[in-house]
Amino acid sequence: MPGPLEGIHVLDLTQGIAGPYATKLCSDYGADVVKIEHPQRGDIARRLGPFPTDEPHPERSGMFLELNTGKQSVTLDLSTASGRGILLRLAAAADVIVESFRPGTLERLGLGPEVLREANPRAALVRISNFGQTGPYRDFRADDMLLYAMGGVLAVTAVEGRDPVKIGLYAPLFLAGAIASAFTLGALWSARRTGRGECADFSIHEALAASMDRGGPNLVAYQYSGGFYFTAQQQSRTTAVPSGVFPCQDGYIMVTAGPNWWDRFCRTIDRPDLIEDPAFVARLYDIDFAPELDALFYPWLFSHTKQQAMEKGQAEGLPVAAINRADDVLNDPHLRARKFWTELPHPLGGTTTLPGTPVRMHGTPAELRHAPLLGEHTAPVLATLGYRVEDLPRLRANGVI
Amino acid sequence: MPDARELPLSGVRILSQAIVWAGPFGSMILADLGADIIEIESIQHLNPTRANMRHYPDAMLQGPTGAALYNRDASDGFWNRGATFNFAKRGHRSVTLDLMRDEGRELFFGLVREADVFIENNAADVVGDLGIDWPTLHAVNPLLIMVRFPGFGLDGPYAHFKGYGATMEAVVGHTMLRGYRDSDPSLTPPIYHGDPNAGAHVAFSVQAALIARERTGEGQLIEISQAEAVLHHTSYALLDYVMNGRVQEHWGNRHPAIAPYGLFPTRGEARFVALAVDSDAAFAALCGELGCPELASDARFADAVSRYREQDALEPLLAALTRERDERELMERLQAAGVMAAMVAHQDEMTDDPHLRAREFFVTLEHPEVPVRPYPGPMARFRELPLVPVRGPAPLLGQHTREVLGGILGLDDTRLDQLSEAQITGDAYLESAR
Repeated sequence: MPGPLEGIHVLDLTQGIAGPYATKLCSDYGADVVKIEHPQRGDIARRLGPFPTDEPHPERSGMFLELNTGKQSVTLDLSTASGRGILLRLAAAADVIVESFRPGTLERLGLGPEVLREANPRAALVRISNFGQTGPYRDFRADDMLLYAMGGVLAVTAVEGRDPVKIGLYAPLFLAGAIASAFTLGALWSARRTGRGECADFSIHEALAASMDRGGPNLVAYQYSGGFYFTAQQQSRTTAVPSGVFPCQDGYIMVTAGPNWWDRFCRTIDRPDLIEDPAFVARLYDIDFAPELDALFYPWLFSHTKQQAMEKGQAEGLPVAAINRADDVLNDPHLRARKFWTELPHPLGGTTTLPGTPVRMHGTPAELRHAPLLGEHTAPVLATLGYRVEDLPRLRANGVI
Repeated sequence: MPDARELPLSGVRILSQAIVWAGPFGSMILADLGADIIEIESIQHLNPTRANMRHYPDAMLQGPTGAALYNRDASDGFWNRGATFNFAKRGHRSVTLDLMRDEGRELFFGLVREADVFIENNAADVVGDLGIDWPTLHAVNPLLIMVRFPGFGLDGPYAHFKGYGATMEAVVGHTMLRGYRDSDPSLTPPIYHGDPNAGAHVAFSVQAALIARERTGEGQLIEISQAEAVLHHTSYALLDYVMNGRVQEHWGNRHPAIAPYGLFPTRGEARFVALAVDSDAAFAALCGELGCPELASDARFADAVSRYREQDALEPLLAALTRERDERELMERLQAAGVMAAMVAHQDEMTDDPHLRAREFFVTLEHPEVPVRPYPGPMARFRELPLVPVRGPAPLLGQHTREVLGGILGLDDTRLDQLSEAQITGDAYLESAR
């Protein structure tokens, strides 16, 4: 069964993480994605790792394999006239062109929006960049942490009185890529509606300011009341009922509870006798009573694994979560039962276990296919433009492909 | 309809019970792109995007919870003054219908017949309880695209788990990758990173399904597990385990390969600059800017490898210097010298940020219950079909009930009055609403 975007042609000039995640979604959901890479360097994600046995190898970088599933790799040196010529012919066949060069790069290469529009007046152009195509920060250098810092919520992602603490490596860029994918299809819809190529300027900085954590609502809360509803102070426990992160037999769990769920808490820790006990019920809002409840809770915690604690709590309707590590996640029974993981054969041998599709479209399901070797599809894609096998050595010798 | 100008998704009609934060983030993108989004609410049941509770205790009103209400005003109508709803539901319409009663449900089915999409992220069993699950709605309108995105998906052992964004992130390994280097996860602040991520995937998949429907002539059910969608964000650590059996834990604000890297204090209280120093040249420029060029020639910090190894020694030396500086000035001067530096932005100052101002990122909206305020605008600039100005403020509860039921279903005034009389529809929560 073909994916939903079957028949949509994407010319992919992105690299790194955010842009490639947007075009990965297009690819996994059926679009034909032609990824342009530099003949020598390739996508920077080929150098990000992680690598098997920590040995860098451009075809074995975990980030590249994850972010480029099903794309076709065509090598092209865009600083050469022939490279640009080939690119414009590929642009002519595209429905949407997505790029994530530093602002000004496309123009410097002689491939700015007007040139692309001339090559294909109907194709949408989506420009993904750290700070957008205009404005005083346009040329700032940044990575995931810096963009998260400037997005706003990091300042209160902290325990009161301590420094802010960031999110896991690259996560903000994945989020930005997911948002960019929605605007990519929006630009495609615009072009389909008007017959004129839409040009979209997507700024990761702005996307994070509106989205990250609860960034947008918190910004508006400040405009509404002069205060924030998401603050560093909020982390502390406010009632006697255990809520927050707790150790257990083999790690940690997160509990979100309050006096209204006292009954569920009691059942979880096998103390239903306390549900109606006035000595307890009367003091649930009293934070000074917390140590006495902890004294009941800790022995139970240390006789349960995080998985057991989660399953027991959830069976009683108490939001308990195991704070899992990568090994737990890979073996998680829920993800296994849902057949989430995908084993993809690697063209150089072996297989890679990758996270499966984030969206299950029951009528037009996604399909994951392995990420391309550098230049794996140069010859077949150029053949669609009319290049013959005998043309390729000349292009190769001239460094074009 | 807020305004009729042509936008990328003009003419696409979406019914929405997209709630809390994941849902609204997705419907906001679709509304900004021009879809006609009709919130299906009721006066019997509080929409959690609008308000946390029917009656706010005073202590909560004065704390962070109350900060989300305009002027911390919890008098009646507070449901029209909530920050999340008024931010994310701009350009939407609001219809109230009591879906617990047959009459309300029949009217909902009538709207389903005229809709392209229904998106909902109620708890997994709600649509079944209401009798509006996929098989039912698919029979009502075979062209309908229905998007369901509960926390852990529609099946599997955790399908009915209770939780919030933070719950899902913990289970898929995200929480363990954050935290202070000197602490276990008990000091790791909970965040809601998976919510907007799920919403973004909703906005993507709705548009993809609309394209597919042109080809197949059929609607479909789309299922998003918020947990699975955000699991991708941990790929770096996850694949390290897949490839090397290595279990990564948190690095605090450090990086696995670059040093110095992290947040450094600047002048003032709770002020920081984020630095990512990824080359010898950047390190030399940083030391020069901080007035301490001898650091760059210190043998302990001579190259990337030694800086990484000696970062415990290097960080306090740099912090002592950054502490004397203003974070914005430092960012601008370091960026001019090619160093990756960013101020940790404070949200009470962001509407004054010169870059965001130059790009006119904030849009102003006047809402019937809230005077003109700036809101973060659409997250992309479109040249051909501009998304700005956004089409209008968020709707009042039930504001468009008569317009929609009259306009789309052809109900006359008498019938609309009867529905209101019977409290199938309305524009204020009942005292008993929960």
